[in-house]
Amino acid sequence: MTDLLQVTGITAGYGDGPSILDGATLTIEPGKVHCIIGPNGAGKSTLLKAICGMLKIREGEVIFKGERLNGLRPDQILRKGICFVPQENALFPKMTVRENLRMGGYILDDKDELERRIDEIMERFPILRERANQHAGNMSGGQQQTLAMARTMIIKPDIVMLDEPSLGLAPKIVQEMFDIMRIMTAEGITILLVEQNALTGLKNADWGVVLDLGRTLFEGPAVDVLSDPRIQELYLGGNKAA
Amino acid sequence: MSNFIQVLILGLALGGVLALMGSGLSLVFGVMRIVNLAHPALIIAGAYVAYWAFKLWGVDPIVSLPFAAIILSIVGILLYKLVFEREAKSAKYSEMSVLLTFSVAMCVEGALGSAFTNTQRVTSPGYATDAIFIGDIFIPTGQLYAGLISLGLIALLALVLKFSRFGYAIRATTQNREAAELLGVNVNLVSLASFAIGIALAGAAGTLVSFVFSFFPAKHWEWIAILMSLVVLGGMGSILGTVIAAFLLSVIAAFVGAWIGSTWSTMTFFLALFVILLVRPQGLFGEKPELT
Repeated sequence: MTDLLQVTGITAGYGDGPSILDGATLTIEPGKVHCIIGPNGAGKSTLLKAICGMLKIREGEVIFKGERLNGLRPDQILRKGICFVPQENALFPKMTVRENLRMGGYILDDKDELERRIDEIMERFPILRERANQHAGNMSGGQQQTLAMARTMIIKPDIVMLDEPSLGLAPKIVQEMFDIMRIMTAEGITILLVEQNALTGLKNADWGVVLDLGRTLFEGPAVDVLSDPRIQELYLGGNKAA
Repeated sequence: MSNFIQVLILGLALGGVLALMGSGLSLVFGVMRIVNLAHPALIIAGAYVAYWAFKLWGVDPIVSLPFAAIILSIVGILLYKLVFEREAKSAKYSEMSVLLTFSVAMCVEGALGSAFTNTQRVTSPGYATDAIFIGDIFIPTGQLYAGLISLGLIALLALVLKFSRFGYAIRATTQNREAAELLGVNVNLVSLASFAIGIALAGAAGTLVSFVFSFFPAKHWEWIAILMSLVVLGGMGSILGTVIAAFLLSVIAAFVGAWIGSTWSTMTFFLALFVILLVRPQGLFGEKPELT
């Protein structure tokens, strides 16, 4: 299958500080859920920020559908079809749910089409219709995450990158987030996910990527990552995955 | 009773003008986190535009309002590009912006003083000294016009912020700059435009101020504390809060002036600033500051 996104040997860091990413490599295939795991400080979130243009790539390149993304701003990369949901604070707390959804379609020029897509999203996620006129900041953590993820679907992107969507959520709600990801892949959206809870992330993913010290240690089918004894030992807390 | 209503009306009329004066300051802070200490100095610059247009060509200050707004918005764009844009990526941006805006205020005051001297000025169209009488109650026409025009401009700003695509971008950038950028908002352009609008509001307020108050270049030092009290009480960055605070404090100041003494009237704003910072630093509509 043709690769949708190729990240080749990139280095990146914050401001003038040292590089957090040190030659990270990644291949994204369409229609799959990809999960990046690794210890704290491995550069997982940094990798997503570099891909979406929030951080300047110092070396290496990001190729999306054959086009180089290095040096583009986040809004330009979004228009190419890559959407990023940051860890926490992805919403506008004093805007209503409907207004947040409208912001999700900010780059769409056709207002009627935007409203039609918002209605589609609300039909798919009834909780958002129920809370349509409520401020996003007044919703529960799970509802906020649902909104943040559903909002990305408005522009029908090719790739949605999620930075720890399960952070701070109850286990039952976490599974709902992964169910939403499956809804998204069914719609043709490819998911690139960073997950601190490596076991849960890999169990719900098709493809696993292990990152450590800013480098890609292993890439392969999620079942292979789960069953690899070294990875189990180092990143999955022994043989819990078995 | 009629005395009470009289004082209330005078307070409300003053509140309308102060609300417009504070709105631009609040908008700029909300979007860019710049405490623009030069805002009142730019209001004075707007007042001079109206004053000279009236003096030289007999142009009514209300007619010169859009021109002053446009002239000041161009000044705002130049200031942003020359002074603030290059500092935006600095780690000490907020601290730097206070020093920079203080410097800009000094430069504007110096330039105005050099060009127009420190003589007190006031624009005097006919309605500025006129009044409408309803029974025992009088409403100064100048203040009434200034208050109504201010409210009209604030309502227009509110409509733009609430319903236009650009308004969504401004509100989103104010609430969560990073998320706005990730959803396709060009936050640098929004910052530039917001700064220009904020300074345009200063220019518009200046034309109204020109026939409501007497002014001279150094007058802005008095106004900065008054405007800061409105913005802090309303909640830094909340335009609605600033408008409510303007009416609230203006009415209180009017009553203080009527019942205690006019010298205490201005003190109301300064006392309010102290009390708010001690009791509720986030103001009426601001977010509680996080302890770090």
